[in-house]
Amino acid sequence: MNWFKVMTLTAALAANTAFAEVAVIVHPSNAATLDQAEITRLFTGRGATFNNGNKATPLNLSESAAARADFDSKVLGKSSSQMKAYWSKLVFTGKGTPPKELNSDADMKAAVAADANAIGYIDAAAVDATVKVVAKF
Amino acid sequence: MKKLLLATVVAAICSYPVQAEVDISGFASVMGGKLTSGSGVALFGLEPTFLANYPTVGVYEEDWTFKPDSKFGLQMTAELTEGLTATAQLVGRGADDFDAGFEWAYLSYTLNEHWTLQAGKKRLPLYYYSDFFDVSYAYLWIRPPADNYTWQIFNYTGVNAQFNYQLSDWSLSGNIYTGREDDAENKLLSEFFGTEPVREIWKDIVGGVLSLNRDWLDLRLTYMTYQNERYSGGQRVFWDGEDTRRGNFAGLSVNIDYNNWLLLSEVNRLALDGDDYDTYLLSAGYRIQQFTPYVSYADFDSDGEKHNTTSVGVRWDFHNSAAFKFQFDDVNDKGIGSNQVAGDSKAITMGVDLVF
Repeated sequence: MNWFKVMTLTAALAANTAFAEVAVIVHPSNAATLDQAEITRLFTGRGATFNNGNKATPLNLSESAAARADFDSKVLGKSSSQMKAYWSKLVFTGKGTPPKELNSDADMKAAVAADANAIGYIDAAAVDATVKVVAKF
Repeated sequence: MKKLLLATVVAAICSYPVQAEVDISGFASVMGGKLTSGSGVALFGLEPTFLANYPTVGVYEEDWTFKPDSKFGLQMTAELTEGLTATAQLVGRGADDFDAGFEWAYLSYTLNEHWTLQAGKKRLPLYYYSDFFDVSYAYLWIRPPADNYTWQIFNYTGVNAQFNYQLSDWSLSGNIYTGREDDAENKLLSEFFGTEPVREIWKDIVGGVLSLNRDWLDLRLTYMTYQNERYSGGQRVFWDGEDTRRGNFAGLSVNIDYNNWLLLSEVNRLALDGDDYDTYLLSAGYRIQQFTPYVSYADFDSDGEKHNTTSVGVRWDFHNSAAFKFQFDDVNDKGIGSNQVAGDSKAITMGVDLVF
């Protein structure tokens, strides 16, 4: 029974989010250009600067936010559990710290709008003029 | 030296809660298993045994036990000032009756975007999985194959410099370390391979790791050299008339994660006083949504000791932070006479790994 529920829930979630688009956002003053490889580098702790040399502070959505799973799968090419396993290895060996997590698109927008170094992502439908979109997936 | 450093790190973490954020994270595994068959070793009077973890002497026998692979860890990290952090990791293992101790305690200073310096007690990063051996959630199997992860020393106290560079599409990372470990009563040597308390010292340790990552490919090179000194029942041990012996360890690991296929491999050699101890492992898995079935083969070969393990299992990521695993292991001990370790055995293990 539980088994069935998990499978159904997963199918439902997958179906639900199939059409949502994720917008990767930065501060409006940030002139850096970013492709998928560079975004992946920043969100996997393999790089800490934008391509213009400025410091980058990646911000993640928590797993309760809808855009998180989309971002992990479409941009990073991993499931959220794979990302958790990846970060566990780095965290418990002192080799890295995962990005700070925010709970909602609104929190993410506010944090990115307030920090010239920040890079985050939200559901594309939630984008407004307080942030700048650098890529959509 | 070790105690002082540990005390400093712990004190640093505890005295800073007002100014600094202390991050607490952790991991846990609850694993149970039993033998389905086993030969034991009549020569040693050893009952049927599956030695799942050499360094901590984690053994499965004919009755169900939860001890060998169950463990918990708590990690506390305090950011002291810009770039300086103190980290301590408390680990309790079923194989040690959950008697928790500080497994890691170190200070870390970020020099710049590429280099970080660390000093304190850490795990020795010999094999691919050595430094996150206890964090089972981070890898595929229930445990890294026992035939490879056999060495009695797994921590060191010293200094470590780690780096991180980007070279076009390749990520280059790694570390250089030096230090020593003085284990007053080594568990593997004292309890499993011997009857007298053995003090095992690895000194003048110098090693390095280089990792190259690109998309789905992960390569790792490792090298370490050390001097071995040993006291058995309080008496100094001599090898061919010498009171120390040198060990040189080298290894290569190639891992591929492509289109849901996982291929994991390691090949390592320890040259100890002219003898070669060769190990390798080969694992393949295929990810189907939350399920990853896998097969694995691991081998240990030396002049005397020879054994291998064939394993099949499945990892089920049933939750965002937890995975259920089931594994069957078939150990073939090919050692003759006193070169046997624990005899042949077949065993099942299952349980849950999680991180928080």
